[in-house]
Amino acid sequence: MFRLIWLQIRVVSALTLRETRMTFGTSHAGYLWAIVQPLVSISFLVSLFYLIGRQSPYGTSLALFFSTAILTLECYNKLSVSLMRAFTSNKSLLTYPMIKETDTLFARLLLIACTFIVIDVVFYTGLILFNLATLPAHPEKIVMAFLATCALGFGVGTINAIMYQRNQAWQHFEKTLARPLFFLSGVFYIPSLMPPEAVAVLRWNPILHLVEWTREGYYANYQSEVLDISYPLSVATVLVMVGLFWERISRKQRA
Amino acid sequence: MISFESVTKIYNVKNVRKLILDDVSFVFENRRNIAIMGHNGAGKSTLMRMLAGIEPATTGRIGRDEKVSWPMGFSAGFNGTMTGVENARFVARIYGENTESVLEQVQDFAELGASLDLPISTYSSGMKARLAFGLSLAVNFECYLIDEITAVGDRRFKKKSEAALKDKIRDARVIMISHSEKTIRDYCDSGVLVYGSKLYFYDDLDDLIADYRKFC
Repeated sequence: MFRLIWLQIRVVSALTLRETRMTFGTSHAGYLWAIVQPLVSISFLVSLFYLIGRQSPYGTSLALFFSTAILTLECYNKLSVSLMRAFTSNKSLLTYPMIKETDTLFARLLLIACTFIVIDVVFYTGLILFNLATLPAHPEKIVMAFLATCALGFGVGTINAIMYQRNQAWQHFEKTLARPLFFLSGVFYIPSLMPPEAVAVLRWNPILHLVEWTREGYYANYQSEVLDISYPLSVATVLVMVGLFWERISRKQRA
Repeated sequence: MISFESVTKIYNVKNVRKLILDDVSFVFENRRNIAIMGHNGAGKSTLMRMLAGIEPATTGRIGRDEKVSWPMGFSAGFNGTMTGVENARFVARIYGENTESVLEQVQDFAELGASLDLPISTYSSGMKARLAFGLSLAVNFECYLIDEITAVGDRRFKKKSEAALKDKIRDARVIMISHSEKTIRDYCDSGVLVYGSKLYFYDDLDDLIADYRKFC
């Protein structure tokens, strides 16, 4: 038992190092790009809102309001898309018998989660230093929301990986499904202030709940009428279980 | 020891069903250097991938209690965009070996010099084979799987590889596929004939080669 766990740790950590090398290249500048990407989208939104003279929907800082949503959404997107290609781009690894396809999923999950922990810390620290944010009011809620985001992204990503391996056209389908998420996840509005008809639709989006959860964690008095933490948690749990179970039963026929 | 318990292997390629192994129970005993013979397409390479644990059985169980190599002469496990050093480190890590000592042995054996720091995609097939061979020697397997010893590199390197392999099988053992009687007599003390989706064990190489000539 202990040997098996040790083997699992060894394999996943070796794969994670390998994925890191594949994702960021050899230069340390590669890691910077991971931070630059969300920085660009957030700066773009902030300047846009500033130019048309809009106030932040909540609090005084546009940058903070957008960050709470965009960082959550980006983390989810990155996971669901990068895990999609985990099986097809790692075929050669199956030469080594101790590496199972799920290990490549775990390695990517680990790498992306760690990357986003760094991105989040750098971002929020930056905002605080520039006086664009205060310290978060309930950090534990931010951590919980982050973990739930990773779980959801992992579940969707696993199912994506299986679908993509069966039929590569799945990537276009997935892209089409994921596109409206930017507008449906409360990036530039407060969901609780939307008309009830809109809320009735929006509340089906688990990522909206994760964004709201993050905001309740950051702001001292942000009270979401939409947030129900059991919803994203159960969606994530079901998707992770379905994904891993499906991977297991379809392993032989996919080989 | 590698054991097959009622193992059946079926391939379905484009609606053509191919039976490779039909309910085979077999033990590849410890410490025996075993040759695998059979006619082309009998399923020798598939059998070897199953021994390595790369290919699952359709039904039945395969058990291993020794550290088995990947099929040698096979460099598909390398990542082209990573350098030779990075690939070697990765392999050392997943097999739980000390990365630096593996790297040292690979540098010493494969004689790739500065090329080790270049991406694998720039390697010739001979260079890749050298790296793969050096790496499998450095990892210290208990059972080496060899799918046709192919002529890797020049004559000097071939000599060196042969010597290294013979040195290895004093503590480890080999299971090898070969059509060459000479190679088999060089390395093996017993054999398996793959015939009609079954495996037949021969304690004596002369019997194996006689039956191979008769049936294949």
